[in-house]
Amino acid sequence: MNVVEKILARASGRSSVEPGEIVIANVDRLIMHDLSGYLTAGVFDKQVGGKVRHPDRVVMVFDHHFSPPTEQQATVLQANRDWAARHGIRLFDCGNGNLHHVLVRRGLVKPGMIVVGSDSHTPVHGTVGALAVALGNDSHAGTVLPYGKAWFKVPHTVRIELSGTPQPGTSARDIALWLVARIGEGELNYAAVEFAGPYVKQLEFWDRWLFPLLCVDLGAKCSFVEPDDATEAFLRGLPGELPAEFPRSDGGEAAQVLRFDVGEVGPQVACPPTVGNVKPVADVAGNAVGWAELGGHGGGRLEDIRIAAALLAGRAVHPSVRFNIVPSSREVFTEAMREGLVLPLHEAGATWFPPSTGSNQAYNMGAMAAGEAMISTHSRNFPGRNGSPEARMYLASAASVAAAALTGVITDPTEVRA
Amino acid sequence: MRFTGRCWKFGDNIPTDRLVKSKYVFEPMEEIVRHVLEDLNPEFPRQVRSGDIVVAGRHFGQSSGRAIATKALRATGIGCVVADTFARTFYRNCFEIGLPALALDGATALVSDGDEITVDIATGEFRNETTGATRSAEPADPFLLQMLEAGGLIKLAASRSDLFA
Repeated sequence: MNVVEKILARASGRSSVEPGEIVIANVDRLIMHDLSGYLTAGVFDKQVGGKVRHPDRVVMVFDHHFSPPTEQQATVLQANRDWAARHGIRLFDCGNGNLHHVLVRRGLVKPGMIVVGSDSHTPVHGTVGALAVALGNDSHAGTVLPYGKAWFKVPHTVRIELSGTPQPGTSARDIALWLVARIGEGELNYAAVEFAGPYVKQLEFWDRWLFPLLCVDLGAKCSFVEPDDATEAFLRGLPGELPAEFPRSDGGEAAQVLRFDVGEVGPQVACPPTVGNVKPVADVAGNAVGWAELGGHGGGRLEDIRIAAALLAGRAVHPSVRFNIVPSSREVFTEAMREGLVLPLHEAGATWFPPSTGSNQAYNMGAMAAGEAMISTHSRNFPGRNGSPEARMYLASAASVAAAALTGVITDPTEVRA
Repeated sequence: MRFTGRCWKFGDNIPTDRLVKSKYVFEPMEEIVRHVLEDLNPEFPRQVRSGDIVVAGRHFGQSSGRAIATKALRATGIGCVVADTFARTFYRNCFEIGLPALALDGATALVSDGDEITVDIATGEFRNETTGATRSAEPADPFLLQMLEAGGLIKLAASRSDLFA
């Protein structure tokens, strides 16, 4: 069995499981944000009722709001606070950061755990070595909250082995976007996607993070990087106990192995209307953007802020661009201040926003009028997600976002030197 | 588990954001349902009738895992939804909330808007009554069919305490 199969077998009280079987397994962590939490709480109160069996396993993070802009949204957050308090559920209120980053930074996800949430990017916790799956509100309200369990179909595994050394200026984010285009949106439907190979293994934790993050666009159920010494070293620096043993594969359980050499990949950008519409950044260079943003589930990392500071320190953001920086967690903002990254970006004309999930769906910021365009490190670019369906959203690496902030147009980051 | 109705055809890679735009998320369902898929076909929310059938392309319902998109689609009164392929969370949510769904690769190639089609969720049988074209799909897992018969996951869990308790 591989990592995913072992975790599912243990959590469903069986000695082994086979791909295609449906099992009912114990859930270790239910994660909810302000939107999914509200919907799940509503279903639970109206259709299920009673007590939450394991409130200590449930975490709610307000990340789509850093401060409610309307009375309606304030009411939603207040209802969430009341609900969390009534059931004894741990809540991280506005300003703590993006749901997934908060969970990891606070030591609330560990290898071998089963993690579920309605946020479709929940599989990102496979970077820690957890089995992390996005389920809908009715699973959470109907089985996870009252019983601490959920049903799962055991996925088949596709291993993606990446090797080679990327071109200078090409980041893990570019490779991840390129992979979505190479494999195709929805092409790995239901699969557990394992990321492996020498390229992945030499990446730092927060760069590995970008691969399980994008697996949902491939149609995957979950994704993971098998925990190794690098995972362990990273987790030792976080709160909480580590499990006695990390789940490890017995080897050879993939239904399919896809091998790619990343040596030829240059900077990429996902163009409207979907994440799979990926092109070399050079192909769309010159398109004007009025907005640039570091933020989202895969952005607003310390690494992203360092790249932006290296490019923009002592320079000025282009007058036609609003460059917004949204740290992924309070910890990242703390580190950015300690490293002296905040002032130079502020002086260059960037705007710092509170730790949150930024302009994701424009609940708190980032709405656009028809004809406007944004380049960001966010995970989605569907028309109408941020205001007008006639606005355009481009997804790219922090280097490409910072380059556009400097020039006012989509720019190959290898052509602007820090 | 057998449905006959008028077909509404949609394309590939349609995200949940197109079923329920973020600005309507906190509105009551009777308001949400007036805007389902309106950007892709403004006639759909206005003209959809009880028992109609939506046939969509590949990776239907990608994006958010929140069940509100499937609930909004169900609230239009459609009998069932067919897609060439579904995004997995959306497919799961269909059964959990009691909206019958059939994954049939090539379904969109067999239909046009307004055709009368028959879909059997339990057997996987698909027939275009207007053109006579037939095709059969792998039916859903028996556990999912049980869920539909029970009226969704919450009702199934309540009636089958042996499963989850």
